[in-house]
Amino acid sequence: MVNFTVHNCGLTVGAIEILGVSAASMFQIGDSDYVTLYSMFDTPPESVIAGPIAPLPTPEGEEDAVGESPMAG
Amino acid sequence: MLEQNYPIRVAQIGLVSVVDVSLGAIVQFGDRAEATPRLNALAVQRAIDHTKAGSVYFESYPIFNRPLPSLVDPVADSGEDVSIRRFNHCPRINVGCIYVTAVGSTSSLLAGNAMRTTAESRIKHIRQYEAHLVKLT
Repeated sequence: MVNFTVHNCGLTVGAIEILGVSAASMFQIGDSDYVTLYSMFDTPPESVIAGPIAPLPTPEGEEDAVGESPMAG
Repeated sequence: MLEQNYPIRVAQIGLVSVVDVSLGAIVQFGDRAEATPRLNALAVQRAIDHTKAGSVYFESYPIFNRPLPSLVDPVADSGEDVSIRRFNHCPRINVGCIYVTAVGSTSSLLAGNAMRTTAESRIKHIRQYEAHLVKLT
């Protein structure tokens, strides 16, 4: 058994300046019990395709995809 | 195991300035029990009009259905508990001014207490250019 005891004494902050809170992040003034943050961000160099413009591939069984409206037409 | 004694802490803020909130973000003043914001995004940048380029589908990219990583915690698996006790000697958190430029992608700005927050954001970028517009090295 691990015992973890926290004593929260007075807390006063003058000013906070934040440029951005992004991708499953959290900025809180207060107390939290459980926090779980997942972020998957995929922009590898290979994601740049330089070549003849062709439509992006449609996945297998695309007709059965539900709850997703096509971007064009 | 979590144990909290009373009083719970209250956030006291002079000023909050937020410029932009987008993409499944939360700005909340007050307490909450549970929040589970989720975002799936395909960011497509192409040298072609979207109306002519065809549709994009989340199903095409494995990032949108890969399982979430699980926490490896040998101490908890062995049945050993962690008991957390908090004592709030001062029932207030005082903050003067808060300036935030942007809140986005299932993030949250919370002035208050929360029990459980589970945020999930999956973003896939695709950039596609014409070959003669890009100098390849």
